[in-house]
Amino acid sequence: MILRHVALRHARRTLTPQSLRPLKRFVSSEVESADASVQNSLDEVQAIAAHINSLTAAQAPPIDNLTPSPAQPAAVSAEAAESYLLFKHRESQFGAVGSVVAPHYQPHTLLSNPPSPSDVTLELLLASEAHQGHATALWNPANARYIHGIRQGTHIIALDQTAAHLRRAAKIVTEVARRGGLILFVGTRAGQDRCVVKAAQLAQGCHLFERWIPGSITNGQQILGKCRTKVVNEKDEEVPGFEDQLYDRSVLKPDLVVCLNPMENYVLLRECGDHSIPTIGVIDTDADPTWVTYPIPANDDSLRCIQVIGGVLGRAGEQGQKLRQQAAARGIVTYPPASDLKPPAHTSSVASQLEQTIEKRRQEAALIDRTMSAEEPQEVENKDDLEDSRDEER
Amino acid sequence: MSGGELPKSLLRAFASLGGFPRSQLRSIPSSRRGLNQSTPKYFSTGAIRRAETIDEVPRSNIAAPPISFSEDAQDIQKAEEQAQKLLKRLRVVPASASYFSAKPEATDDFVTLDTLLRKYSTLPVVPAGHAPRVAWKGLHHYKVKVNEPIGPARYARIVAILHRLNHIHPALMPEEVTTAMARFKRDINPHDIKPRPSVIDEWGRSKGVGRRKTSSAVAWLVEGEGEVLINGQTLAQKFGRLHDRESAVWALKSTQRLDKYNIFGLVKGGGVTGQAEAMALAVAKALLVQEPALKPALRRAGVVTRDPRKVERKKPGRIKARKMPTWVKR
Repeated sequence: MILRHVALRHARRTLTPQSLRPLKRFVSSEVESADASVQNSLDEVQAIAAHINSLTAAQAPPIDNLTPSPAQPAAVSAEAAESYLLFKHRESQFGAVGSVVAPHYQPHTLLSNPPSPSDVTLELLLASEAHQGHATALWNPANARYIHGIRQGTHIIALDQTAAHLRRAAKIVTEVARRGGLILFVGTRAGQDRCVVKAAQLAQGCHLFERWIPGSITNGQQILGKCRTKVVNEKDEEVPGFEDQLYDRSVLKPDLVVCLNPMENYVLLRECGDHSIPTIGVIDTDADPTWVTYPIPANDDSLRCIQVIGGVLGRAGEQGQKLRQQAAARGIVTYPPASDLKPPAHTSSVASQLEQTIEKRRQEAALIDRTMSAEEPQEVENKDDLEDSRDEER
Repeated sequence: MSGGELPKSLLRAFASLGGFPRSQLRSIPSSRRGLNQSTPKYFSTGAIRRAETIDEVPRSNIAAPPISFSEDAQDIQKAEEQAQKLLKRLRVVPASASYFSAKPEATDDFVTLDTLLRKYSTLPVVPAGHAPRVAWKGLHHYKVKVNEPIGPARYARIVAILHRLNHIHPALMPEEVTTAMARFKRDINPHDIKPRPSVIDEWGRSKGVGRRKTSSAVAWLVEGEGEVLINGQTLAQKFGRLHDRESAVWALKSTQRLDKYNIFGLVKGGGVTGQAEAMALAVAKALLVQEPALKPALRRAGVVTRDPRKVERKKPGRIKARKMPTWVKR
């Protein structure tokens, strides 16, 4: 649209100090007022000028007119890489000079290098705030046996109980892993995803850090039917050739479920109970301990506590897997093999060719044996006769 | 043995395999090397001498022993036994650790990207808006690829991580990040498709195209004295109305370059004003090719945007686009 004599028509309105005064209060020194179109235009010109000046160097041009364009040719980006690497090298060489760093709590180590069941001490549990219960008015009396006392209106969980239950749970996880069971680690609260993924990785199980879809066990075929499964041997090597059998097979269920926030996962625990799947859960003072098979009384609101418990159970699973693999190396299969699996039906062309050649050589062997042994050998003149003989042998 | 024939037993063996017709077999010449040269000729009426069979030909020291076909059956039996043994060692497990999320591939992608981001979070980053422009796959595109029930919120989180990873300085971009991002890029990056820049040709002409309502105009600008020719007519001849004449050359008038350029224009379609406004846009575009620095000035003059207004269509239930029939109480 062509606007003629804009300045004459609108100048008085835009440039009066009264119109600009309320804007100055809300605008910082760095941000321009949206009303000052003249100022914006000047910026545009500057930006375009800068852009034109750096036309030779435009490797990644800015997305809009207001972003100042960089003056970085390819040579400069290589220099940037060099200088960064040099900086990193210097930091590694001289970064610690003049400083003495005392041993301290590093939060990331709980996830990168979780503690094992043998590292569980009351000091560790206390430091990770596992003893903090909820307000006394909110308690579940079924948890009375796990409570040490009251402080400042909240219940304090007895850490010796926590340690004992945690060690028991660890033993269960180890044994289930040793027997080739499928362990599912569930933690659906914000921030529990990393812990759950790491624990599943160690125990070679499954993880779930987003909402449990109700019916994943009771109506598993509908919900998990499309998820891929595989056939493995005792050495955890995938064995191909069973794809068509897996297609018709029923959906997998976990053999043990570790839930780090049972208060939000009633449906999951209910489904597990209905299908005789044992569960381990972190039970706070306000939680119901009967929801899980093996409760671990601890603070479920502290991420640090959850990471300790999740880490310990993950390590326990890792130990179980190691025992299973050692037995497998000796030729011992610690799990009951999958029932109703048949020898693979040679879906691949190579396998089918192999079968054909074996079959063919079998025919030839049988025929030549017949020709050698008999005085009047039977001559097969038609291919149809050959096929009939093949059918008979089958 | 005669030069042409093989022993009958051998012929029968070949025939039973179904390889050759009997007529051909007779014509196969027998090589003297393979057979014992001292084998005497026999009469067809005589019984087949056992000495003629391959097994009992006196072996010399140079030939290999005959094939024992009966061992194959044992091999097959062994294979079957092995298969049965293998079945006793097998179990079925999920292919992915995210099996119980019902969207294993999408969850695995998220976990992979999150891990990568954490690993390379300290690498230097280009300023916001300066990363190479990438068109990430849309949700529908990704859903078709993985065939899983993923929602827009979850996919938006994946794209947010990709956006951040894309801002790692290109000189320090790790290879595994590039590989992970490639999965989410469209096959054709629409940002790579750039329009061919218009250039000034060897006679100093630049071309611009403009449209307004149903009119379309093409204008060629060349440095000159200020002559204007539109459809073979001068400005005054073409546009009777002063406003329209001004509009047609507004790009030059507002930048005070009326006497610097000559215009040659072709315009068709629509009415007088539509054609004038179409010319305005065409002249502005042609002028931008000659002097790109004038863009903010021309934008302020209002001659750079293509006016999208067009005649509104008539709708059912109304007399015209907006006019409704007389309201009746009952």
